[in-house]
Amino acid sequence: GGSGKMDSNTPKNAFNSFVDALVNLVDAPTTWFRETIVAKNRPEYYWYHRQFRRVPTIDECYTDDYVCYIEANEQFKRDKMVDNEVLNILRQRQEDCVLFEGHDHVRKCAKLREEYEKAAENWFIKYGDLGAYGNVRDAYMKQKHRMIWERRHGPVGSGMKDQLD
Amino acid sequence: RVKMSVVSCLRSGTNLLKNVSSPARCLFMIQREMGGHGPRKMVITPSRWQWHKFKDMLHFYFMLGVIPLGTLVFLVNIFIGPAKLSPIPEGYIPKNWEYYPHPISRFLARYLYTSHQQDYEKYLHFMYEEKEKQQMRLLEKKIRTLMAERGDSQAMFYRPILTKYHRYVREEYDRLEHTTGPTI
Repeated sequence: GGSGKMDSNTPKNAFNSFVDALVNLVDAPTTWFRETIVAKNRPEYYWYHRQFRRVPTIDECYTDDYVCYIEANEQFKRDKMVDNEVLNILRQRQEDCVLFEGHDHVRKCAKLREEYEKAAENWFIKYGDLGAYGNVRDAYMKQKHRMIWERRHGPVGSGMKDQLD
Repeated sequence: RVKMSVVSCLRSGTNLLKNVSSPARCLFMIQREMGGHGPRKMVITPSRWQWHKFKDMLHFYFMLGVIPLGTLVFLVNIFIGPAKLSPIPEGYIPKNWEYYPHPISRFLARYLYTSHQQDYEKYLHFMYEEKEKQQMRLLEKKIRTLMAERGDSQAMFYRPILTKYHRYVREEYDRLEHTTGPTI
């Protein structure tokens, strides 16, 4: 039946009209009720999504400024949620492409796959291995340790060099 | 015909005798009678008054809450309805209740609950105070360990020698010696 669609599906045969009648058995009274109560002016008023201002990040906080650290941590958690969803969307795109293309996915979905892999790698660089209780300080220290390692051994993935050379 | 016999059997015993003439019917009715309810009896059971009264009161007090609140929620949902989501207009700071869609949530947020901003700021202030106290306690602990280690300050770990009690004892001893004579 065409209960959910706005365009009128005119029944083409007896089965269609039968199914339409069954659906309208429930749909017509509820639609009538809705029309009569929406026509009884419901006030038009709005609600908004909460928007958080950007606060100083952890690298701009003094070491004994705990309030600054708390705000930076909250911002970090919000940014992590946003990044999780972004990664989800990229992963969904890649998986839909793979599902759709079938055997051709190696060739046709290569760009989407590469985008997702790059985004996943960046996500892991920033948020990975921090554990369930990882806070913004841990992430900051992770970045610092990574930079020190890269200074000593070159880019990540190129192996450890001899120290003290 | 089958149904009628069953009904006439169940309703009263006297009508049975009307159909005794045909033997088939007799047998049929006798068979049915065995599955019937039998003569009416007065069954003696313990009183279920308390249980019935309990159910009655439970039902009453439950409905006492459900009916007004249910009608209120029903009317609010129909005649006021939820709000529409829209982007925040330029230069406008929404009040704390304008972040909820349902009218009852908005009412509660407006008149009963503290706002998110208020809770957040109170939390930050509390954390700041606790951090200050923690810093002071750490400092005191550090100072105390240094004082214990060095032993150069009279503030702590210093036991002054009070000679008051030694004097009392000596006075007593002298008096005793005066009265009873020297011990040795």
